[in-house]
Parts: sequence; C-alpha cells; structure tokens
Amino acid sequence: MTTAVVICPGRGTYNAAELGYLSRHFPDAALLADFDAQREAAGQDTLTALDGAERFAMGKHTRGDNASGLIFAASYGDFLSIDSEGIEVVAVTGNSMGWYTTLACGGALSAEDGFRVANTMGTLMQAALIGGQAIYPWMGEDWVADMARKAELLALIAEIGAREEAELYLSIDLGGMLVVAGDETGLKAFEERVEPVQGRFPMRLGNHAAFHTPMQEPVAAQGRAALPRELFGQPALPLVDGHGRIWWPGASDTAALYDYTLGAQVTQSYSLTRALTVAAREFAPDLFIIAGPGTTLGGAVAQSLITANWRGMASKADFRARQHEQPLLVAMGMAEQRSLATG
Amino acid sequence: MANDRVTIVHENFRRRVAAQDFPQGAPPSGPLDDVTAASVFRTACLTRAMDRESRRMQAAGQGYYTIGPSGHEGMAAVAAALRPSDPAFLHYRDAAFQLQRAEQVPGQTAAWDMLLSYACSSEDPISGGRHKVLGSKALSIPPQTSTIASHLPKAVGAAYSLGLAKRCPPEHKAMPDDAIVYCSFGDASVNHSTAQGAFNTAQWTSYQHVPLPLLFVCEDNGIGISTKTPRGWVKASFEHRPGLKYFECDGLDIYDTFRVAQEAAEYVRTRRKPAFLHVRTIRLYGHAGADVALAYLPRQEVEAEEAQDPLLHMARQLAEAEVLEPAEALAIYDGEAQRVERIAQEAVTRPRLENAQQVMASLVPPPRECAPTNGPDPATRAEVFGPDMKAMEKPQPMGKIINMALTDLMLDHEEIVMMGEDIGRKGGNYGITQRLSSRFGRARVIDTLLDEQAILGLAIGMAQNGFIPLPEIQFLAYLHNAEDQLRGEAATLPFFSDGQFTNPMVVRISGLGYQKGFGGHFHNDNSIAVLRDIPGLILACPSNGRDAAMMLRECVRLAREEQRLVVFLEPIALYPMRDLHEAGDGGWMTTYPAPGETIALGEVGVAGDGEDLAIVTFANGAYLASQALPLLAEKGVNARVIDIRWLSPLPTEGIVAALKSCKAALVVDETRRTGGVAEALMALLEENTDLPHARLTAEDSFIPTGPAYAATMPSRDSIVDAALTLAGGAK
Repeated sequence: MTTAVVICPGRGTYNAAELGYLSRHFPDAALLADFDAQREAAGQDTLTALDGAERFAMGKHTRGDNASGLIFAASYGDFLSIDSEGIEVVAVTGNSMGWYTTLACGGALSAEDGFRVANTMGTLMQAALIGGQAIYPWMGEDWVADMARKAELLALIAEIGAREEAELYLSIDLGGMLVVAGDETGLKAFEERVEPVQGRFPMRLGNHAAFHTPMQEPVAAQGRAALPRELFGQPALPLVDGHGRIWWPGASDTAALYDYTLGAQVTQSYSLTRALTVAAREFAPDLFIIAGPGTTLGGAVAQSLITANWRGMASKADFRARQHEQPLLVAMGMAEQRSLATG
Repeated sequence: MANDRVTIVHENFRRRVAAQDFPQGAPPSGPLDDVTAASVFRTACLTRAMDRESRRMQAAGQGYYTIGPSGHEGMAAVAAALRPSDPAFLHYRDAAFQLQRAEQVPGQTAAWDMLLSYACSSEDPISGGRHKVLGSKALSIPPQTSTIASHLPKAVGAAYSLGLAKRCPPEHKAMPDDAIVYCSFGDASVNHSTAQGAFNTAQWTSYQHVPLPLLFVCEDNGIGISTKTPRGWVKASFEHRPGLKYFECDGLDIYDTFRVAQEAAEYVRTRRKPAFLHVRTIRLYGHAGADVALAYLPRQEVEAEEAQDPLLHMARQLAEAEVLEPAEALAIYDGEAQRVERIAQEAVTRPRLENAQQVMASLVPPPRECAPTNGPDPATRAEVFGPDMKAMEKPQPMGKIINMALTDLMLDHEEIVMMGEDIGRKGGNYGITQRLSSRFGRARVIDTLLDEQAILGLAIGMAQNGFIPLPEIQFLAYLHNAEDQLRGEAATLPFFSDGQFTNPMVVRISGLGYQKGFGGHFHNDNSIAVLRDIPGLILACPSNGRDAAMMLRECVRLAREEQRLVVFLEPIALYPMRDLHEAGDGGWMTTYPAPGETIALGEVGVAGDGEDLAIVTFANGAYLASQALPLLAEKGVNARVIDIRWLSPLPTEGIVAALKSCKAALVVDETRRTGGVAEALMALLEENTDLPHARLTAEDSFIPTGPAYAATMPSRDSIVDAALTLAGGAK
C-alpha cells in the first residue's frame, strides 16, 4: 500500500483552465447537488452554474464568495476520487482556505458542513474585503533555500508593519514564497522596497483580502457567529494545520479545533511550509497528493519539502530528479499525474 | 537474546488486546478526559514503537542507544498534567513525557526529532548528533544524559530561581513566573548521595518557608539494573520527610496517574513548595539493549512483569471508559508502529557528525546580546561603597580589592547572585564577601547549607533562568565532592544542547597553599588537575589585587556575554598579603583599578625585563618569584616573571610573546608535580620554543599543618637555586 499525505489547495487555484473541473471530475452528484442547494438558499450562483459557465470571468470566478466553494468542491471531489485500495492516506493538510477542505477530508467536518464553513468564510471575506495580499519569492528560480534572504524579507515586513501609518504582516509562509498582507499603505511600501524579480513579483493577488492577519478579526467574529461549534467533530485522519499542529483522530479537542479554525487560523500567519515539514517528518509518506484544481501549489509544496531538506532535496534540480525517478508529488489537477492518485 | 522479550511483549499485546484478555486493575476514574486519555494512549504507543525501533536500528548498525522507556509509558499522563513551559529535567526513561509534551506545543516534529537522536544524526535538533538525549528548547526540556541523579541539584536551583526572577527579572530570564520545575529519576537513583543532597536542600529550603516550586518524580520500577529496590523502600523513605509532601500513584493506571500528578502539580504551583511524586512503573526488556534480565531474574518474574504491560492496562481502561474499542486501540498501536518505521527509514539516512571540529562546535556556547549597562550613578555607587570609597584611593591587599570588584559588578549587573557557605552574614571565611549581603540583600547573597553539590546546583539552575551566579566554594578541597556538577553537568550543557541551553557563571574558589601554619591539606589544597581537563571551562587565577579585580570583570563578561563557565581561583595566602620583600614595604598591595579596566582572557602579566631567564608561574609562585628577582640580580641573573594568570586554556600565545628575547624559562608551579600545571607548561615550552627550560614544582604530597606548611612547595630560595642552575646552564 502506498502511503500519502493529501494537500488541499487555497484560493487562486481555480482559473480559466479549471472551468468545467467539477463536471469533469466531481464523483458524487448528490453531494454536488447539496452544495448547490446550500448556495441557492443563500441566493448565490450554484457551483454547477459557475463551473459550467461558457467563459471564465475573472471578476466573478475569483471572488471569495464563488472561488471558495468551487475550490472546496473540486478538492473534496478529488479527495473522494483517490484510489483507496492502492493508497492509504496517512494525513491531510492544506493551504489557507484549504484548511476548511482539510477538515472535511479528514472527517472533522462532514462534507456538507465543510462546504458550509468554506463557503461562509469565503463569502464573509469577500463582503468585508479588508486589505489585500501580494506575493514575493525568497527563493531563486533554482529553489535553493537562502534562509538569510528569507529572514531579511521577514524583517522588512516587520519593519513596515511596525510603522504607525501602515499595516503589513506575513500572511502565508508559502514554500519559496512569502504572501504578505496588509492595507494599501503597507503593501505599497513593501512593493517599493523589494526588487522586482522573475518579471512578475511582487505580485498583487486580485480579489484577495489580508487573510491570516489580525485585520480579519471582524470576519473571524462573524464566522463564529454564523457557524456553530457543534459542526466540528473528531477527525478520522490526522490533520496538520497552518501552525504545524497535528490534530489526531480521537484525541482532538473539538472546541479547540473550532477556536483555531475560526480564530487563529483566520487572524494569524499560515505556514504551509511548517505544515508540510511536519507532514513529511511525522508521516513520511511515499507520496504527497495535491487534490483539487490548478497547478500553482506544486511549486510551493516542493519548495516546502526542499526547505525541510526532505529526502535530501536541496534544489529544484534535486526535486526534478527525484520526481523523474519515482514521483513524490502528484497534482490531481494535472491530467498526466491524476491517474497516479486515482488508480 | 534480550530482544526476544521485545517481540514477546509486542506479540502479547496484540494477542491479548484482540482477545480482550486484559490484566486486572482499577477502573478508570477521575479528571482525565476522553480526549486527553486517547492522546496519552497514542503517545504511549508511539513511545513503545520508538523503543522497538531503536533496537532494530541498533541491530542494523544505524542506531546507538537502547536504554528504553518501555514500562514507563504512563509518564505521558504526568506530562499531560503539567504545562509545556514548566522546565523539565528528565529521567532518561522519559520519552513518553517528552512525546506527550510535544502534543501541547503546535508545530513539533517530536517523532522525527527523537529518531534523529537515536540515529545520532547531526540534524538532531537538541544535541546535534552528539548524544542520544531527551531534550528540546521549544518544550522547556534541557538535555540530560544517563548520569545518575546529577541533574537533581540544578533542578533545585532552577526552582529557587523562579521566585527571585519574578521580583528581579534578569535580562535573559527563561522561565515563566508561575512555572514549576519538574525533575524525574529512577528508584535506584534516589539512593545516590547527589539525589539525597538535592532532596535535603529542597527540604531545608522549604522548611524555612523559602519558595521552592519543585516536583520531584520517582519512577519506581523496582529495580536498578540488576539490584532490586527493597519492597516499600521508596515510600518508607519519603512518606514523612519534613518540607517535602509525598504523593503516590500507579503509573500503570493513567487515570490515577493523571489525577495525582495534577494534584501534586497544583500543590507545588500554588503553595510554591516541593513535592515528591512516587510513580509505580515496570521495566520491560531489561536495563538496556545489551542487558538480559533473565540472567539475574527468574523467568516467572520477568513474565509476570510483562503481563502488567502498561499499554494493556491503558487499552483496558480506555475500553472501560468507552474512549476506544480494543480494535481501535490495536489500530493505533499498529499505526504508530508503521509510522515510526517509515520515519526511521528516512531518519537513518540523515548526516552524522564526521570529525572533531563538528563534535566540538558546541563546547563553547554562542555569545548572546546583552543590553549595555551604564552602571550606577556616582551618588548611588558612593552610598553603597560608603567608607570604602576612601579606601579605594590607597593600596589594599587582594582580599579587599576582590570585595570592591564584587561590589561594583553587583552594582552593574542586577542578575549577579552569589551563593556559598558563610558568605552572607559572616562575609566569608576571609571577609571577601563582607558587607555584600547588607549592600545587596540576602536574596542576592545567599547563605547556603553546607553542601557543595547544592551550591553548584543552585548556581547551575539559576543560570538556566538568566542569572549570572557567582557561587563560592569555601576551600578548593571542598570542590572535589561536587566537581561532577561542573564536569558532568555545567560544562556539558552547551555541548549536549548544541549551544541552545547554557549555564554561564563564575565559580569563585579559595584555594592553594602557603597559609602560614593554618589548616593543613583541606584548607591549602594545591591540586587543580580536576579543573584543567574540563572542555570549555575557563580557569582564572590572579596573583595580586589589581589583576584580581580586572580578571574578575573579564570573567563576569565572559559569563554574561559569551555564556562561559568560568572558575576564578583565589589564592588564599595572598588575600591579606601586604609586603613583598620586607615587613612594611607594602610591595604586594595595589590600588583598586577603575571600573572598566580589565585584563582580557589570554593576556599574561610580565614583571621585570631581564633577559637571562623568565620565570613562568602564577599565583603564589608569582609572588615568590617576584621576591626572588632582586636576589637573582645580585647574582648576575637578570630575570622576569611571567604571570600566566589563565590556567585553562593556557594562554600559549601570550606566554610565547612574553618569552621573547629570554634565554631560558623556569616553570614555577605550586601545584603537584604529577598532574600539575607545570606538566602542561613544559610541553608548551617544548612545543613552541627552543629555550632551555626546567621546572620547580610542589612535591606529590598533601599539605601538612604546622611549621612545615610550605615544605613541599616552591619557596623564594628554591626558586633562586633553580633559576641559578638553569641560567648557569643556559649561559
């Protein structure tokens, strides 16, 4: 039996190429109907409609109230599609809103309640849209970890964040990249201070708010008001959260899990890097499977494993060589890799 | 084969749980909630899997440590009853404690870390691959090795530090104010004199209502390697001790253990008094991998013990509490075993230490940032010194000047604390600490009980909470019963923690010979070999007041900023020394050097500029050699005295530079011929110079009392004779 850690992606992974993902891959029509019913009841477009749209509309599909539901459903559907006879999932983790999907995949939330949590939080985030996010790499294109460079950037974020007129925080520690979040003054100050690299960075993330920062306190409070504690139960699989904490089946304090999910998870930095370091070192799986749409998380996952020096990998070349020899990372959103997970 | 028992216990567990054939025991009751109980069980399974894996790794030549935690898994319930910020000085069988504590701190990779430690990988986050230790900076667990009970005195010190740190927080305070200190050990170790000293110190302290929030935990598996602990001995010995409240629980019953541990911790935390928690455990698989219990225990007894496997008791209780079905318990047990096996496969591929340089990288801890101190304002300083301000203007003997230097250092750095026998009210046997208690209070100048292990343990523990202790050992001969606290504990802490834990301090020791007819051996000990071969330890020894003040300042800087372990050896006979050549000449007194003047580590002193001969010496030797200089000059030999000041590590460069243009070198060493400083100095001269050299040392003897007090050691006249012989030969 192959062992695997499943990784659920965050926002920004359902783009033009993913249009129709649910119709292509979602394995449980009744469940999708349930998700659609929840959205209809809330006066939102159904996932089926969004996913079946003729054209991808940036302004529409990437909004939090739409993207969260789409990404959750696409990822959860993929999780259900994993070949359970050949692959033993030993832990689940996720990036950012992927944590809500993680909770559902791991059984701490039912599929329906997981969707409710993801959709509610995405909708609340979009309605409030407090602040924004930008992304900037600390690794070069060779993916060699330069920890001094990372420390420099973290110090810069702290320095700008300490200014009275600006808000700036580390939002996500995302493998070889840092996602920063703050208000316009803070983000601008950051963008002005860092050198433009790779023709794209620093890059603003459209329709994203200052997730995982104290600026989201009001959204977290609304989330707690909208979502009851009783939704949360014991996970059936170990979950690794954005602080790198493992929530074990049968041994998780569900009240604490609720508090984290709708508290610190929303208002404090999220570390995919730490989550994957813990997942690798504490579960040592044969495979890391990225469920869900998109191809953008693979780099961050590989970079996280390189940062942890997992299986001796120290660069992109190392990762490629290992991947070539025997895939360590499988992205279900990539057609050529999907079958490695679905059997 | 010892490992057969590992397989037998494993198979017994799987078979008996599947058959629901459980050992009898108390039903689950008490405050342990379902979630924590399940977590404790998972930790216990992980711990067992780790132990089994460590033996497989050793058999495969990939692991190097097999003193296992099996039978002690119930300690996870004790960890669950404490806070992860409570400093824990752990017994070497406490893997379960550490693994459960890791559950309380997000982001830990406890299984990976421990397997790296078994593999002695240089990536092991606590020791850097130097030793399999339990320990973690993030989990407030300073590393401990297998030394018997030697960690107890410092646990007492750490517990004592909490109260003072709350009132006067040191810059590098490491422990929360409401912490309790946890210290565990086995039932055989409780008999060790070091342990008994620590219990006594804790009781002595608590008896006089001084706060000491310390939880001693004895994990009583009934046997120490092959020698059984008499049945009931631990309880009989500890149940009614003054100042030490006794708790007991059954470590095979996690509900009982959690309840009692919680009560004991609550008692210690709220009352700030020490307690002794006696936990019944069992020992599976013998003492260590190579130890076969069947060689000294009847088979029935081994099997009876195995039948009480704590994991079986846990599975029974969790089923009774409806937390886990036996099948679920078995799935967790198997799941953890598989997980550990997968992690281990990766851990054994990680790099190991390869050379001496890598091994030695953490002998010297890293420097740390310290806030600059401006010292007190002049008025405050003048008030504290009082009439001594005037005394500073005139030459004084060394004893008085050390007192002044200590006063200034304590004024400059509030984190300095002193502890020793009679140092407070009395001001020390030789008055060196006079008035320090009234100047700085009894909390900073602590009159200890008469136990050198307790004094050094107090210092080590306080240093781990950010203080800069200046413990005093009244006489060098008294160090020897306690030297392991420096050798095995203080000096090794940075080494075994890869520089993450440190205990910087300056140990002041009065020693060496030449007290006129007073005291004999025990007050004039002239053996320092025991201090010179401790890696990382700095040994300083001044010969006069001015040097003493400036070197002491450097020693405190080395401790405070570079986190070094320093011993400052004060030659007793020179404390009151006033004259050099004749009565009333005041030739050996100096004025007090202004604050800020220091002598750097490795800087030697040179008196005279003669080139015929250099006398390489220290302490009383420097004094006697200085007396000899004019007598030698009269005989046509122009000499100089090189006071090496730093006895370990030896200041090679400084000595060689000071020898420049000299024609010969005479080593004068008041320590013994065998194992004395001269041996190293002769080697140094041989390896680094072409000079003719000779040595004059003390005889391999103890020091007598009475008129022959100096008969075995170098004298002014014997120095003159030896110098003339060498210089004559050299000319």
